[in-house]
Amino acid sequence: MFRFSKLQSIVNVAGVKFGGQCGQLPSVLCGTIFYQGHRIIEDEERGTFNKTAAERLVTRQAELSEETGCPSVLHLYGRSPAAFVKYLDFAEGVWDGPFIIDSADPATRIAAARLVSEIGLADKAIYNSISLATDKKEAQALAESEVDSAIILAYNPSQPGVDGSLAILETGGNVRESGLLAAAGEMGMRNLLIDPAVLPLGSGAGAALRFSVAAKARLGLPVGSGIHNAVSSWPWLRKKEMTIRKGCDAAAGAMQLLAGADFLLYGPIESAEIIFPAAALADILIAEAASDLEKPPGEGHPLQRLV
Amino acid sequence: MAEESDIIKPGLNAGYEDPWPPVRGDYQVGDANGSVAVVTLASSIIPKGAAICGQCKTENLGVEKIVANVISNCNIRILILCGVESKGHLPGDTILALHKNGIDNQGRIIGSRGAIPFIQNLPEGAIERFQQQVELVNCIGQEDTQQIEELIRRHGQDCQPYPDRPFQVIKRSVPSRRVSFGQGDISFGSRVVMDSYAWLVIEDNAAKADAEGSEG
Repeated sequence: MFRFSKLQSIVNVAGVKFGGQCGQLPSVLCGTIFYQGHRIIEDEERGTFNKTAAERLVTRQAELSEETGCPSVLHLYGRSPAAFVKYLDFAEGVWDGPFIIDSADPATRIAAARLVSEIGLADKAIYNSISLATDKKEAQALAESEVDSAIILAYNPSQPGVDGSLAILETGGNVRESGLLAAAGEMGMRNLLIDPAVLPLGSGAGAALRFSVAAKARLGLPVGSGIHNAVSSWPWLRKKEMTIRKGCDAAAGAMQLLAGADFLLYGPIESAEIIFPAAALADILIAEAASDLEKPPGEGHPLQRLV
Repeated sequence: MAEESDIIKPGLNAGYEDPWPPVRGDYQVGDANGSVAVVTLASSIIPKGAAICGQCKTENLGVEKIVANVISNCNIRILILCGVESKGHLPGDTILALHKNGIDNQGRIIGSRGAIPFIQNLPEGAIERFQQQVELVNCIGQEDTQQIEELIRRHGQDCQPYPDRPFQVIKRSVPSRRVSFGQGDISFGSRVVMDSYAWLVIEDNAAKADAEGSEG
């Protein structure tokens, strides 16, 4: 419900729009498939999995997206280059929209960027992520790829908090010679999505909320986070029933959206059932709150579709 | 270094202070008088016989928690690293590097091959204490629970508590700061604006004065 004086850019990846003023566009919801420990995976290294179960999950995310009006992105996580070959082949057959390529292993991320370039899917790919961990080899590989959309991770462990996160983006702070935004530009990235990096509760998770507003006000770029990580890493909550944990997931997502976020990396794709209604609710409330500040949202918005 | 009498004082004679471990996390606590701690990295295995045993998947906050919980118990003299590495993050490699090399001025763990290996919450002296108090046993890759339990038995023999007080890592609090009223860059309408940097919601006096002037 904020209205930023800074022009808010809108990023378009394969037809899905991220960003703008609060209440202008519906939130983009990104569900992860093939994450570590995902039950549908048979072999994480080789990338074998239960295709029927995977297709059911992807289809369900698409159905909820259509029903609520919140656009969606398929977040592909892979442990190895071989796995990514299989995951991308699967995604190409069942998913029309943009997808995130992600791995904890830099060699796998590089291989995925090369692969999407080779098979003509680079325009749909969002690289996750460019961060303090991105070294020269990865930067070079990205520059040579055709990928031009990326999530920029504003994690700055040498200066925790909002100031440090902005510094790592703008100047590099104490730990980089240049800011990640400029570096991403040099790697050929044109569509930038900012992620504050959500820490565990008690270690500074809440800063992601304040950062989201500050980053939009200062940079005018789309912002979003994986705030579900704050929920899933909370030992106290882990002992509670599933319905309670899911309730906290939905609450955290809605809080992040109220704090100006344009997209959510909402975690396991199975959470689509609770995240899409929660995000649609947040989008409607925010759009109504901003109704005398902003032009009414378009036809596809949950405000027009669900009430 | 403390006198021996300090170590056996009531309250400190156990080598740790209750509640131990001081930092919450995904771990199992055994006998707090035991001398071996076990980090199973990304492997979900729970060998028996350790004072504390748990996973570590991250090369920054996860490593900090291990250091904090280990140095707050003088009985722990051996830290066994086992289980499979968390790909990309490499916390096992990072713990080895921290123990061997420490950190640089920015908090980066020297020599770690992990993705973002930084220490941000440990106070001065904590890393030096970690280096002095414990010996690392590098069995990264080992997932056989029986073999790890044998290691715990073998290394846990004849260990003496570290001859000093438990090192309590108190969470660093970020000092609050006074912020001046800045210029709003976010509008809530009705002349209420927010300075996003200072996180201040304020009435826009300039706009208010303009409005009052035009009304007069």
